[in-house]
Amino acid sequence: MSWLFGYPAKKQEDSTSTATTSTSQIDSQLGFDASTISDVSSIISTPGGLDSSRLHPLAGLDKGIEYLDLEDESLNAIEGSQSLLPSRGWSDDLCYGAGTVYLAGLTVGGAQGFLEGLGKINRSDPGKLRLNTVLNAVTKRGPFLGNNAGVLAILYNLSCSTIDGVRGKHDGFNSVAAGALSGAFFKCTKGVKQMAYASAIMAGVSGAWVGFKASLGY
Amino acid sequence: MSADHTRDPCPYVILNDFGGAFAMGVIGGCVWHGIKGFRNSPYGERFPGALSAIKSRAPGIGGNFGVWGGLFSTYDCAVKAIRKREDPLNAIIAGFFVGGSLAIRGGWRHTRNSAITCACLLGVFEGVGLMFQRYMAWQNKPMAPPLPDGQQPLAA
Repeated sequence: MSWLFGYPAKKQEDSTSTATTSTSQIDSQLGFDASTISDVSSIISTPGGLDSSRLHPLAGLDKGIEYLDLEDESLNAIEGSQSLLPSRGWSDDLCYGAGTVYLAGLTVGGAQGFLEGLGKINRSDPGKLRLNTVLNAVTKRGPFLGNNAGVLAILYNLSCSTIDGVRGKHDGFNSVAAGALSGAFFKCTKGVKQMAYASAIMAGVSGAWVGFKASLGY
Repeated sequence: MSADHTRDPCPYVILNDFGGAFAMGVIGGCVWHGIKGFRNSPYGERFPGALSAIKSRAPGIGGNFGVWGGLFSTYDCAVKAIRKREDPLNAIIAGFFVGGSLAIRGGWRHTRNSAITCACLLGVFEGVGLMFQRYMAWQNKPMAPPLPDGQQPLAA
């Protein structure tokens, strides 16, 4: 953080020095004699006046791109939240989680529908009709599984981020609790028994996910 | 010139866009079909009606949005990789391909018309974005610093 707050070693030297030394110090820092300045263009035209190495350390010009690291681009700071991909916070977690699960559901469901469609083909049909049979089966199965899995992932990520924010840290317990909550919410119109089943299944799935992440060292 | 640091590098951003668009569609679909189901239900059935409309329709809306956003991001990345530049034309080309891909089961004419419509739509979006960017730049245009009056020494 020295680029932000300056270098502490240089501080407060001039408070004890006399007026002449402080003037010469300013001269050496600025690269010109401050008392001779009448307008901006004379500063700019002074040779060495705009040397970046003499500028204030606040500029941080020797630190590369670091001065562009704004607050809303910093990574998630909650303890234990480091995961497979770098995340900038709950919205990143939500987008990546939902996207990955949705795409996985779409792929698995599409493959299942593809096999199902292949089985439904009539040997006597022309080629276009056969293609349509397969595509109908794919677009029936794929989006169904993908949509439901994606909604579950959204619920899971929302509850997981909420629990993280309330507890101030992230661990396996949070994930399992979030899975149980999201499963219960997903089936909340189907009665207590269905809710309990869905909750248990989702808790198991998120527990498996936690175990998978732990086996990778996160 | 200026890289966009708020978005991830290309292969990963596809997943991010899939999820973002899907979540946007699901949440928007909840609002839309919640209101629609509420209004279209008889008195006494309004909340159950809204709930069942949300349950049956919001995931589908989310899926439509998600597929559109994910395909767009995929094509955008592909176009970027081929053209090796980032400009408004990328989004227009990607929109052309998305519109075509989504309508490909409707026959050649439908595919072509959808592709052109989608490219025009993206062109309008990009144009509005450029206009807004210019307006922001005009609003924050550089100003000369005020000069100090008199011959004050600059000693700190």
